[in-house]
Amino acid sequence: MSELRIPGSTRAAGPTAIQVARGREDVVIGDEIVRHRLASRVIHWVVAVFFFGALFTGMPIWSPVFGWMAYFFGGLSVCRWLHAWLGVAFAAAAAVMAVLWLKEMVFDKSDRKFNVVDYLRFSDREDPDVGKYNAGQKFFFWLVMVTGVVILLTGIVLWWPTYFNQTLRSISILLHDICFIGFFAAIVGHIYLGTAAEPGTFHSMTRGTVTRAWAKLHHPRWYREVTGERR
Amino acid sequence: MALQGLEIRRSSASLRGGGTGLRKMATVAKYIDTSTCIGCKACEVACQEWNDLPNAQTSGPQHGTYQTLPTMTANFWNLIKFREVETQDHGLQWLMRKDQCMHCDEPGCLEACPAPGAIVQYVNGIVDVDPEKCIGCGLCETGCPFDVPRYAQATNKMAKCTLCVDRVSVGLEPACIKACPTGCLQFGDKTALLEVAKHRVEQLHGDGFAQASYYDPQGVGGTGVITVLKHGDHPEWYGLPKDPTVPTTVSVWKRVLHPIGFVAMAAAIFGAIGHFMAFGPKKPKDSSRETGGEV
Amino acid sequence: MASLAATFGRGAMTNGWTDIKNTDLVFVMGGNPAENHPCGFKWAIEAKKNRNAKIVVVDPRFTRTAAVADIFAQLRAGTDIAFLSGIMRYAIEKKRFHEDYVKLHTNAPYVIGEKFQFTEGLFSGFDQTKAEYDKNAWQYQADPKTNAYMVDETLQNPRCVFQLLKQHVSRYTPEMVEQICGTPKDQFIKIAEAVTSTGNPERVGTILYALGWTQHSTGVQIIRAAAMLQLLLGNVGRPGGGVNALRGHSNIQGATDMGGTFEILPGYLKTPTGATQTLAEYLEKGPPTTLNKQSWASMNYWQNYPKFMVSLLKAYYGRTATKENDYNYALMPKVDGNYSWMYLFDDMYRGSSTRAGGKEPGPEGLISFGMNPVGTGPNSPKMVAALSKLKWLVMVENFENESATFWKAPKEYGGAAPKDIQTTVYQLPAANFAEKDGTFTNSSRWMQWKWKAIDPPGQAKSDQEVLARIFLAVRDLYRKDGGALPEAVLAIDWGYTNPYAPDLGEVLKEINGKALDDIKDPKDPTKIIKKKGEQVDGFAQLQDDGTTMCGNWLHSGVYSSAGNLAARRNNADPLGLGMFHEWAFSWPANRRVMYNRASADKDGKPWDPTRPGIVWNGEKWVGDVPDIKPDSPPGQFGAFIMLPEGVGRLYSPVLNDGPFPEHYEAIEAPVDNVLHAKVTSNPVSKKFSTDKDKYGGRDQFPIVCTTYRLTEHFHYWTKHHINGRLNEVQPEFFFEIPEELAKEKGIANGSKVKVTSARGSIVGPAVVTKRILSMNLGGKKVWQIGFPIHWGYAGDPKHAGPLANLLTPSAMDPNTWTPEFKTFLVQVEKATGENV
Repeated sequence: MSELRIPGSTRAAGPTAIQVARGREDVVIGDEIVRHRLASRVIHWVVAVFFFGALFTGMPIWSPVFGWMAYFFGGLSVCRWLHAWLGVAFAAAAAVMAVLWLKEMVFDKSDRKFNVVDYLRFSDREDPDVGKYNAGQKFFFWLVMVTGVVILLTGIVLWWPTYFNQTLRSISILLHDICFIGFFAAIVGHIYLGTAAEPGTFHSMTRGTVTRAWAKLHHPRWYREVTGERR
Repeated sequence: MALQGLEIRRSSASLRGGGTGLRKMATVAKYIDTSTCIGCKACEVACQEWNDLPNAQTSGPQHGTYQTLPTMTANFWNLIKFREVETQDHGLQWLMRKDQCMHCDEPGCLEACPAPGAIVQYVNGIVDVDPEKCIGCGLCETGCPFDVPRYAQATNKMAKCTLCVDRVSVGLEPACIKACPTGCLQFGDKTALLEVAKHRVEQLHGDGFAQASYYDPQGVGGTGVITVLKHGDHPEWYGLPKDPTVPTTVSVWKRVLHPIGFVAMAAAIFGAIGHFMAFGPKKPKDSSRETGGEV
Repeated sequence: MASLAATFGRGAMTNGWTDIKNTDLVFVMGGNPAENHPCGFKWAIEAKKNRNAKIVVVDPRFTRTAAVADIFAQLRAGTDIAFLSGIMRYAIEKKRFHEDYVKLHTNAPYVIGEKFQFTEGLFSGFDQTKAEYDKNAWQYQADPKTNAYMVDETLQNPRCVFQLLKQHVSRYTPEMVEQICGTPKDQFIKIAEAVTSTGNPERVGTILYALGWTQHSTGVQIIRAAAMLQLLLGNVGRPGGGVNALRGHSNIQGATDMGGTFEILPGYLKTPTGATQTLAEYLEKGPPTTLNKQSWASMNYWQNYPKFMVSLLKAYYGRTATKENDYNYALMPKVDGNYSWMYLFDDMYRGSSTRAGGKEPGPEGLISFGMNPVGTGPNSPKMVAALSKLKWLVMVENFENESATFWKAPKEYGGAAPKDIQTTVYQLPAANFAEKDGTFTNSSRWMQWKWKAIDPPGQAKSDQEVLARIFLAVRDLYRKDGGALPEAVLAIDWGYTNPYAPDLGEVLKEINGKALDDIKDPKDPTKIIKKKGEQVDGFAQLQDDGTTMCGNWLHSGVYSSAGNLAARRNNADPLGLGMFHEWAFSWPANRRVMYNRASADKDGKPWDPTRPGIVWNGEKWVGDVPDIKPDSPPGQFGAFIMLPEGVGRLYSPVLNDGPFPEHYEAIEAPVDNVLHAKVTSNPVSKKFSTDKDKYGGRDQFPIVCTTYRLTEHFHYWTKHHINGRLNEVQPEFFFEIPEELAKEKGIANGSKVKVTSARGSIVGPAVVTKRILSMNLGGKKVWQIGFPIHWGYAGDPKHAGPLANLLTPSAMDPNTWTPEFKTFLVQVEKATGENV
């Protein structure tokens, strides 16, 4: 494992992949490729923390089934307060994330070839033109962005209901709820795919690097681009 | 506050019903005869006094009516609404209606409330807020078709008329009823008061108010406030909604979206597990080297 | 009250609050009971709910009472006489009056002397120079043979009261009413029909009124018209009927009963004047004289006057009052001239007294108890200026009100700079109603004992303690230093257990009266009905030989040997008519409905057996406490025992401004009197003539204005409660402006307006309302506005406001000298930066 490599051993010549991964992306260091520089990883986890904070403080408000979650935060009243602020923090972090990632998340021609069924079947018919992010990942990004905006705006209405009229409040309740359900389902999928389903992915979000094999498998075009190899 | 010893019929955000007991009690109600209300505001002051509410801030821009405040506030639960209405058959009418919590049989506030036990309906029909459990989210405002509950910034709690549950539970009538000088307010068993209302409505029919009726809207299962209206065909003249129901959004939210939500959440989790079992992890074909083993 | 006394014999609500539930029709005019008497108004609502009674309201504004009325009509402020006369005309023309009642219980059949005439707005006997009437021109025609009243039971004699009345009101046609009052003809007829629906034995109606009638330059005659209407309709003396004066203070009836004004002593005995130097002279002039009428004699209860007066003197002077010294009558102050408070303040301002032709100086000091003259007097700038002339002023009050702080009144009140005012002001803190016991006498004449709830705060003292300490200090000075006529003070009996703070129970006992010697039964002199020292059971036991004492004969019976009856709280009502005979004590003699003999016909059978007042059972009258000798058979005495005629007066020759009411315009009126332009306003009404007494004309001030109270406030008192709840529910002064007028003047709801009268200007927010409409007076469009009293410069600074009486005129009724608060002229403008 690359991160266990002791500096000054076999490849003491240059900085390790981990070190490089602090500042740069898409760099090949030996067997590894830097996929996410530190900033990207940090913002991802910041977003994630606020997301789960908001999720777990929101769920007990959503239904008494999750009432137990409230105790971890000091009760439902704290949740009501914390949820709003965590929501705002999530939105702010997500906005920073959007700025950092926007360029890479633009759909391109190759994305049209993305077949979600094929993808989910883990079939070997992987599209050789999948770049750094596949269309599913980009779609997930945009989904988070749009839902994030909606959940933020409706959240503001629910935060200060007295300042808004009945119609707006009613619509907000529904939309906030729909967004929440969507988010919940999406996050389950996101975690699954990022961990159990695709080994190696989680590492990219913790230490920043992936193996050549991983890159070749999941993002072949990106692999070619960063290594200069031909198909 | 929720009162010890009063049996609960319904409780907000309860997983299973929330009723506490078997004791049966008659549903109580307030009777308001707007046709004999003189708008003296004794009920307003009595409500303030009994509930030890701080003075409302009424000074400021004159809003040009005899009405104390434009609407109820978290510290003002009982407000007589004054309306000047020109009618075809009866000329100018100066309508006065005491506005307060309607104590619905199917309370929208209770339906909307996410905090377990923060809004309760006692077996006698009184709908009450328990400030200890209230989280100040304000969803009850959205659930109420009568625009009654009010959020108190200072305490981060909702507040509204309790129908003086503390007085009623010891056999007294609510403070507003006690203070009413003309008897246009009465309190008691709802069934009996409906008879009083019917009698008064008949009398009003005889007086030439053919549209007179009493307001006990069935859209919310009837209310704990029976309001006799001379112009029963125009409850909006009195500031009352015509056919109030718990807002559709609130019912859709609680009765449709919630189940869908649970299903969706379960589906996502089981979908992931199933997928893993069916398709396993996606690994490079030449898995000469273990990658991402730490997961 | 003067008019009720002149019509029925006693100046008080004829029936009572609880009796209103027996009525078929509640006619509210000159009052707004839902606003000002909400608790009493309950009984009108009871009648509505239980008897299907109708509520009819006539008022310059659509009031809170109008909000629950069945019929409402707007009239121009101050034109009530025309409206009521119109109803009387309607009743007579359409024969919708109670004829048997009128013949039996009123002076309709009585023939009036030839000297009485009415021409061109003036009654006969008018003295142009004095602006007064000679009432001798209005006397009854005596039968030349018997010297008794001449009567015509057929009502056909053209000089009988009925025919004179018919002629007098014939001018008030519905068209004329519309032209004078601005009430559309059809609305007037609808109301006339409703009101006269009670002009028969089967139905009965009540009239509720208050200061909306009293406070006019024609106030007494407005109430006269109402009283006459009720006599015509046969509604007086009957349960559910009457003319019911709603009093504005919890104890104003009691204050009047106890001689609250200068011209009367307790029990409405007259204040001695310089013309009656001996008791004999006084007693000769005291009781009203009567022509004898054989067939239908009057009890003329005032023939007992000597008993009441002598008992009162015994209460005042105790043992020092003896038959030999005329019971110290000589020591009683003899009051000539007018000491009504309006005149007192005029004297104060001018610095000379109306007494002795204005040659004596005006008052130099004033002790004011529970009163706020700067707030409650008309033309406040004059009130402020008058107080500035005093050397000293003692205010005995709960709060430091506008009068106590007159020396720092805001500049619009026109007072001198504080440094130029030399008046020493003493504020004595007084206990309020809850901080002392005593009685309240309410509108129903119920004397209700109340118990002290809490101790007065700080150094506050009860009124009786303040008075007693002043009296004892003054008496000590007389004892020590002598002075002019010290006996007048030294002879006063002050035998209270605690002389510094007399117990009010003891005072009530004194008011009730007791036997000073054994009292024998007049029918059987061997029997003793009261032993020496015992409380008397009522005024019937009072004596004119000094063997009884009584502080107020009218209240006698309230604290008899049976104890303090005012403290009774038994709400049993065996008759089911809301009489509650064992609840408190209702003067006179615990009678609940006055003149109740008139509730029965000539045989003593009730007009309406379902609502009997009293019934003759062959031996005596049963039911309510009879307002007649209990064992006098029907036909012996008339129903109105306090009047020499024994019957109710449709024609009353005793008031200062005429035997019949006549429509006169207010002193400030927007139009000329259409009936007689030369005599536009009441020819004998009173005005003052100092530089501060300004009256406005209709060219400069075209809009009619009236003042009133709000249910949320109590006089000028509420605003003194710092952070009080009642200030919260009606926080500030406002003007009520008709929607159409506001539009014309560009006034938005809630925006500031400036209202100006000849006396001054007030700027305040407008409440723009549909509840006041314009009026068409014979082609001329006239506007009315109004505003509530209650505010002033003293009290909670958050709720300070203008004094309403900055705008009102010092014009008065000629009988009671009540100011015309309810009708005056103003101009209305939008308040801008420049004009405020």
